Amino acid sequence: MSRIGVFVCHCGENISRTVDVERVAATAARIPGVAYATEYKYMCSDPGQNLLKNAIAEHRLDGVVVAACSPRMHEKTFRNAVKSAGLNPFLCEMANIREHCSWVHEDREEATAKATDIVSIMVARVKKARSLAPITVPVTKRALVIGGGIAGIQAALDIADSGQQVVIVEREPSIGGHMAQLSETFPTLDCSQCIMTPKMVDVANHPNITLHTYSEIESVDGYIGNFQVTVRKKARSVDMAKCTGCGVCTAKCPQKKIPNSFDKNLGLRTAIYVPFPQAVPNTPVIDRENCTWFKTGKCGVCQKVCGPGAVDFTQEDELVTEKIGAIVVATGFELYSIAEKPKGSPIKGYGEFGHGTIPDVIDGMTFERLASASGPTGGKIVRPSDGKEPKSVVFVQCVGSRAREKGISYCSKICCMYTAKHTMLYKHKVHDGQAYVFFMDARTPGKGYDEFWRRAVEEEEAVYIRGMVSRLYQKGDKIVVMGSDVLVGVQVEIEADLVVLATAVQPRTGADTLAQKLGISYDQYNFYSEAHAKLRPVECATAGIYLAGACQGPKDIPDSVSQASAAAAKVMTLFARDQLEREPIIARVNERFCVGCFACKKVCAYGAVEEKEIRDRQGRLIKTVAYVNPGVCGGCGTCQATCPSKSVELDGYTDEQVIAMIEAL
Amino acid sequence: MTPTSNLLAYSYYPGCSLHASGKEYDVSTKGLFRALRIGLQEVPDWLCCGATPAHNVDELLSLALCAKNLSLAEQVEGDLAVSCAACFSRLKTTQHRLTDNETKRRQVEKAIDGPVPLGKPVKHLLEILAEDYGLDRLRDAVQKPLTGLKVACYYGCLLTRPPEVPQLDCVEAPTIMERVIGAAGAETVNWSHRMECCGANFTLSRPGVVLKLSNEILASAKRAGAECIIVACPLCHGNLDIRQQEIEEASGTRYGMPVFYVTQLLALAAGVSSTRLALDSMIVDPKPLLKEKNLL
Repeated sequence: MSRIGVFVCHCGENISRTVDVERVAATAARIPGVAYATEYKYMCSDPGQNLLKNAIAEHRLDGVVVAACSPRMHEKTFRNAVKSAGLNPFLCEMANIREHCSWVHEDREEATAKATDIVSIMVARVKKARSLAPITVPVTKRALVIGGGIAGIQAALDIADSGQQVVIVEREPSIGGHMAQLSETFPTLDCSQCIMTPKMVDVANHPNITLHTYSEIESVDGYIGNFQVTVRKKARSVDMAKCTGCGVCTAKCPQKKIPNSFDKNLGLRTAIYVPFPQAVPNTPVIDRENCTWFKTGKCGVCQKVCGPGAVDFTQEDELVTEKIGAIVVATGFELYSIAEKPKGSPIKGYGEFGHGTIPDVIDGMTFERLASASGPTGGKIVRPSDGKEPKSVVFVQCVGSRAREKGISYCSKICCMYTAKHTMLYKHKVHDGQAYVFFMDARTPGKGYDEFWRRAVEEEEAVYIRGMVSRLYQKGDKIVVMGSDVLVGVQVEIEADLVVLATAVQPRTGADTLAQKLGISYDQYNFYSEAHAKLRPVECATAGIYLAGACQGPKDIPDSVSQASAAAAKVMTLFARDQLEREPIIARVNERFCVGCFACKKVCAYGAVEEKEIRDRQGRLIKTVAYVNPGVCGGCGTCQATCPSKSVELDGYTDEQVIAMIEAL
Repeated sequence: MTPTSNLLAYSYYPGCSLHASGKEYDVSTKGLFRALRIGLQEVPDWLCCGATPAHNVDELLSLALCAKNLSLAEQVEGDLAVSCAACFSRLKTTQHRLTDNETKRRQVEKAIDGPVPLGKPVKHLLEILAEDYGLDRLRDAVQKPLTGLKVACYYGCLLTRPPEVPQLDCVEAPTIMERVIGAAGAETVNWSHRMECCGANFTLSRPGVVLKLSNEILASAKRAGAECIIVACPLCHGNLDIRQQEIEEASGTRYGMPVFYVTQLLALAAGVSSTRLALDSMIVDPKPLLKEKNLL
């Protein structure tokens, strides 16, 4: 007869408000095989854990069921407690009576009955449980950082400085991300390039960093400590080993009228180009869609003028496989577009702002490029339509953000601050100009942030109008901004020369596809989900994958950098060990019964099933059976459900256990 | 000849305006549908939808009036066709409000002393033309194309708003009217005040508001090079057409901008005789313009 202990937690009032925990404990005590049952207000607290440990000793328990929260929350906590009391940790199971019961039900009687059922099921499971020993796997001490913006750069530098190897994969031809595009940064107005480019150069020069630019993640296999990542290095058409970065090719390229997306299409570039002067690496790339050679087979000027002979039209995409121990995802954001959205998109555009057809209605990033000394106008703020200096500029905040009717309910967090910055930059350059800002709330919770905002209002005399804009339309060479001032209670109309929209921060296009490759979860907007909103904000629920920057939610530079360093610290903690303990919840093959049909091999999502030959002493082949590689098995149980001869079983979830659980109902 | 199986037939709710100040709209809707061989049968004994006053005073009253109409409409086969933007809005709002609100629905059922049928689709005639009938067929049905006529399509407030109720087209930048009148050969202008309020029923209590707002609409249409405006709402029509002379006096600008119901021009294009479109009821005389374009 088993001697199981049942410990029912009140979780403050989280459980006891709906579930009669005393009754659950009393009922559990009467289940055959339960030697002891009790309840306690906070089982996870120090006295709660001690209660558990003492009971194990006192009542000679050989199995434990903690009826409390989700195993995702505290399974580890209680298994550690059980272990320290001398019991195998895998003889401890959680009965989830919080998320699966008290939080989702209202009726006390029904909830109590359900909680009792959940406890009985878990008791049945523990009765049939076996002691399991953790599996150790080696850790590959090499980190992958996806995205080379400020978050990715910071994470990579921190990990590399600790002496570990880092691989950066960046989609664009250069690292730098959005921060390289900014003019000045809040709240200090220091030049973004000046603080960004040295870090970019550090990345390029760091002996521990391997940089793959113009590259994307093709596939990800494996698990924490042992990922295999395939990177697609897109054909640059320039041999990076030979190129000296002299710039002759870009100077001579006759195809000079291609809108430069780095400059938000305000400036032009050539077909062979570096996106911006401080690019890292400073190696050009050929934009094959616009290159005359690739379109017509004629030209080839860049190849002719290249001294070292680095231009290579025959280059093809290359696939590189890297062995990786931990991954930091730092893919960043993009700005919401007010243009008409494709049918079926849950996010809508702004017809009332002309769907982006008015040339002097621009977004915040375009304004950054106008204000940037290295931008297409050399820092002169002019209108895209006619190059005239705008004398009145209207800034509109919360375009797409906090707008449920447009499909986005969240706050984009950075716009209040950067709009305040824009009004200052504008005033510094156009002294007789007037800035107006339409805003819902001025949200400035950061160090020195509110002071900065007040400066924009009080010293730089930006006129802040609390209210929303209902419509923008072109009238002659002015843009009429129709809005409301809700503090005064009147409708406002301003004739502006330029309108700057603080459009919402969104995850990168394709963020969902990457998440599927990585096996990490994301929310309805495609922002990546952290493992716990408060206590595990930089980790994914998938072990070995960490988050940094705006791919997890809108973030400004200091927040992105902090999170990047935190993610780096997590990677370093992982790399501090040579071996990693894995949960031994893996499939095992009973070789006596296995008939070698390999149905399990076909269904295994992890590629963990191998073929194993069984030979007699003379070396003659008796039969070929399935073998599950414990280092690769993900413990999903698909093989167990598939096996026609019932010869695969998942430890911790054996058929015997599952059937006992069903019978306990 | 169109095969009979392709014939469309609707029940029709004209609403009060279309039997009074907006008679042109009713006459031309019926004329157009007849020309296009779309069946239209008026709901017997219909009553007022409550328009603007009812829902401002008592929500239950406004819901009950529309619920009664929806219940009367069950007597006639076919989706319910509505021309007036306000009636359309009220009927759709009622369906929307009662669909997921059991308590409200029971109250309304008590008030009208019977069940409230919510299943019959309520369709604006623009929807019928653009989607059920189809723009290609409409193009084929045109006998006298509106070539060279520069039209400003004016939507007003109610055709697309609030977003969750009519679901007619893009809420803030719809194109359904442009698509329909474009199929009849007219040239549509891109202008700024397609969706702005004309002042609506302030026309009685505070006409000054209407003079200001409607003036902006007329000015914007003129600026964009329009020769006429088309509307789908009797109240907008009243404000832009009947009040146009007053607006001209108050603003000191001469517009002379004919304001048609969308159906008047469509019917003309579909070959309905101009004598059957009540063009004489319009205050701003459209005949010189139509003659100039060889449409009369």
